[in-house]
Amino acid sequence: MKEFKRQSTLLGILLLAVAIPALAHVGSPDVYYEGDAGPYHLFITVRVPQVVPGVAEIEVRCQSGDVRAVQIVPLRLSGPGSTDPPTPDFAVRSKDDAQFFTGSLWLMESGALQVRITVDGAQGKGELSVPVASFAQRTYAMQKPLAGLMIVLMLILGMGVISIVGAGAREASLERGQMPGPASARRAKIAIAVTIILVAGLVYLGKAWWGVEDANYKNRVAFYKSPAAETTLENGNRLVIRARSENPTWSARINMGEVIPDHNHLMHLFLIELPGMNRMWHLHPTLLEGGAFADDLPDMPAAHYQVFADVVDARGFPWTLVGTVDLPQIHGAALRGDDCSWSGETIGSQQDQLVSQLPDGSRMVWERAAGPLKANTAMDFKFSVQGRDGKPAEDLEPYMGMAGHAEFVRSDLSVFAHVHPSGSVPMASLEMAQAGLLGDRSAMQGGMAMAPATGTWPALVSFPYGFPKPGDYRIFVQVKRAGQVETGVFDVQVQ
Amino acid sequence: MAGTISVERIQARPVERAYAETASIPWYIWCCLASVVSSVVGSAWDISWHESIGRDSFWTAAHMLIYLSGVLAGISCGYLILSTTFRKNSPLYEVSISMWGFRGPLGAFICAWGGVAMIASAPFDNWWHNSYGLDVKILSPPHVLLALGMIGIRFGLLVMVLAEMNRAEGIYRQRLERILFVTFVFLMGMTVGIAQEFTNRVFMHGAKFYLVIMIAAPIWIATVSWVAKNRWAATIMTAMFTALHLCFVWGFPLVPAEPKLGPVYQHITHLVPPDFPALLIIPAIIFDLLRQRTADWSRWKQAATLGAAYLVSFVAVQWPFASFLMSPASRNRIFQTTNYPYFVPPTSPWVRNLYIPTEQTPAQFWIRMLIALCVAILMVRIGMAWGAWMRRIRR
Repeated sequence: MKEFKRQSTLLGILLLAVAIPALAHVGSPDVYYEGDAGPYHLFITVRVPQVVPGVAEIEVRCQSGDVRAVQIVPLRLSGPGSTDPPTPDFAVRSKDDAQFFTGSLWLMESGALQVRITVDGAQGKGELSVPVASFAQRTYAMQKPLAGLMIVLMLILGMGVISIVGAGAREASLERGQMPGPASARRAKIAIAVTIILVAGLVYLGKAWWGVEDANYKNRVAFYKSPAAETTLENGNRLVIRARSENPTWSARINMGEVIPDHNHLMHLFLIELPGMNRMWHLHPTLLEGGAFADDLPDMPAAHYQVFADVVDARGFPWTLVGTVDLPQIHGAALRGDDCSWSGETIGSQQDQLVSQLPDGSRMVWERAAGPLKANTAMDFKFSVQGRDGKPAEDLEPYMGMAGHAEFVRSDLSVFAHVHPSGSVPMASLEMAQAGLLGDRSAMQGGMAMAPATGTWPALVSFPYGFPKPGDYRIFVQVKRAGQVETGVFDVQVQ
Repeated sequence: MAGTISVERIQARPVERAYAETASIPWYIWCCLASVVSSVVGSAWDISWHESIGRDSFWTAAHMLIYLSGVLAGISCGYLILSTTFRKNSPLYEVSISMWGFRGPLGAFICAWGGVAMIASAPFDNWWHNSYGLDVKILSPPHVLLALGMIGIRFGLLVMVLAEMNRAEGIYRQRLERILFVTFVFLMGMTVGIAQEFTNRVFMHGAKFYLVIMIAAPIWIATVSWVAKNRWAATIMTAMFTALHLCFVWGFPLVPAEPKLGPVYQHITHLVPPDFPALLIIPAIIFDLLRQRTADWSRWKQAATLGAAYLVSFVAVQWPFASFLMSPASRNRIFQTTNYPYFVPPTSPWVRNLYIPTEQTPAQFWIRMLIALCVAILMVRIGMAWGAWMRRIRR
């Protein structure tokens, strides 16, 4: 995360440097979603604005070629503002790709919003909603040429008003053709002196006002930064987690005691051993009184761990608590329920390998297209699970209601995204978004467990996602087979 | 008024007097008046647009009217200054001022300054939107710079009219005085309008509302009264201001509109009008009546009386009127109290017709009311001095 920095110019123009976002996952604010709008299967990307109110860019790829029009409209995710949509926009069909539509939407508020997408085509109309976490992420610095122009204009205006007042005091009341005398000149000097003081005071007040506005905006940016995960270890293996924000209003407005279940759990806790990321735990703490969470840790070696803890607040807005913890050797309980762990090689050792060996001798294969991976490009990450005989596994089960889970972690920990087959949106938020649709709600099929027609789950699981920036990433892919959670790990360099 | 208010007689020369009685309003006053009307309509329309439709672009009609204002004032006054400076035997040369090597009427320089300020606000506002997001409020630094530009053009027009009027006599002066009233209406509309974030009916039972109105209105009431010869100057000007405001209140709802931004909290089918105007007409009438009876008082005594009367009479009528605006009886086409911008949530005190306390204790309330009283007196006194100065403007 970059640091804010501030420079001030001659006339009080603040040049603001920037900070990168740290929320809706961590450092990965754009939304990737795959689902069905009635009979139409869509792959949707919402590139959220850096400042709010700001413009979000919407990309819609239709799987079928029979789509005539795509409409997009923003609403609140729930409550007032979620029922009365504004006039929708038509997404524009690409000239090069008839199944690709793009559009722009103003997101006027921070918080839990949704983008509702209506598709019209040969098979009739279909509708789906994509939850979007909208929040101010940064401010932009004023470019030097613009700053220079503004300074010049301010000088012209400042000197202009002083000169106008001076000239007015000297000559405005003179009769036709009369020349200004000493009294007029003296009056003009006094007027100029007073005006200089007033202009200086005005510039000073303007600068102070700008500072207040800037501080308010920074406050809004800080509000949506990832809260810290404060951890304490009790009774040898009980890890207690509390959320703490640098923003004083965060605790007053966000009640951790009212978080809602996200695919069966109130919190998804990821503990990643540092620095090598060669061990990872995916646990599910329970909620305590007062909004704290606790979990009885399993056996863990003494090490320094990165903490990522995903929760969804009552309005459907996702938060990721971030922190680190030094743990001693833990002699804990066996993994239970949906908890799982993985251990293996350090990050980088699996670089560009498409096969990850699983503990039982089977393997996970990344069905990756040839060519380099590029940042900010929406992709479908496909992984197939093969048995020891190399054939597609036939014993996959839903893992917390879904075909799989994937975590994308950048080597410097500035990016963490917990992604599902439906995309990067939390399932809890998605359920709230779908609840507002009047008609077909089959969009949920992409993510939530649906009984396969054949009685078995397919061996191929896919995740729509895009890396937010270049760098080295580790991808953890988790599926469940015969009651056991298996984790495949892939390292990749993104350009 | 002539009988009760001391007015400087215009000692025009014979030639000038003849010109003053037969001349027509010069083209540059009409241009600047058109510029100001353009910005008044454009601003009101733009605010309503943002409250009703939301999404806009550089090319909306409301924006075009605002930009037209700056362009019209800039070009006409620029030409006027250049022609006065460089044209041989320019009729305005001897009634012009000099600045930075140029010559022209003082009002032309002020209008030109306003045009530059409006132009300067555009890149500033654009950067502000990119850096802090689109601001859905009136009071932001770039908007205030734009407002200063608009005020500059309006004040420049006022000074141009004053210079012409103070050199004129007879029918021509009366015609110019009518334009003077219009100009003051627009100036008061600017200061009252820019403060509208603090003048919503939810604030009308708090002292802050009255303080803001005392900052924005009495200075123009006093100034126009000391400039114009009409004994009912304050009443006429305020009546015109109220009538213009009511045109917007009753006219905008006739135009169909629907939100194009979300989230939408209010069902909108037409342009959202501004709030019903404050009852400034009553204190203006009181002001005129008292002014006629206090003409021979000392300036500060007169200012104290008029300022106090203005505040007290305004509180006396506006306070109960606020209760009426909050009541179901006001929810009709006349008072338009059910028209809310699309982005106002139903939980808002505005929608729920609840007052927002602006002072936490009775002591705070009365201290702020005392400040409002002092401000009213001071603004009236400044207006009196300003008006006296304006009567002397010849160039």
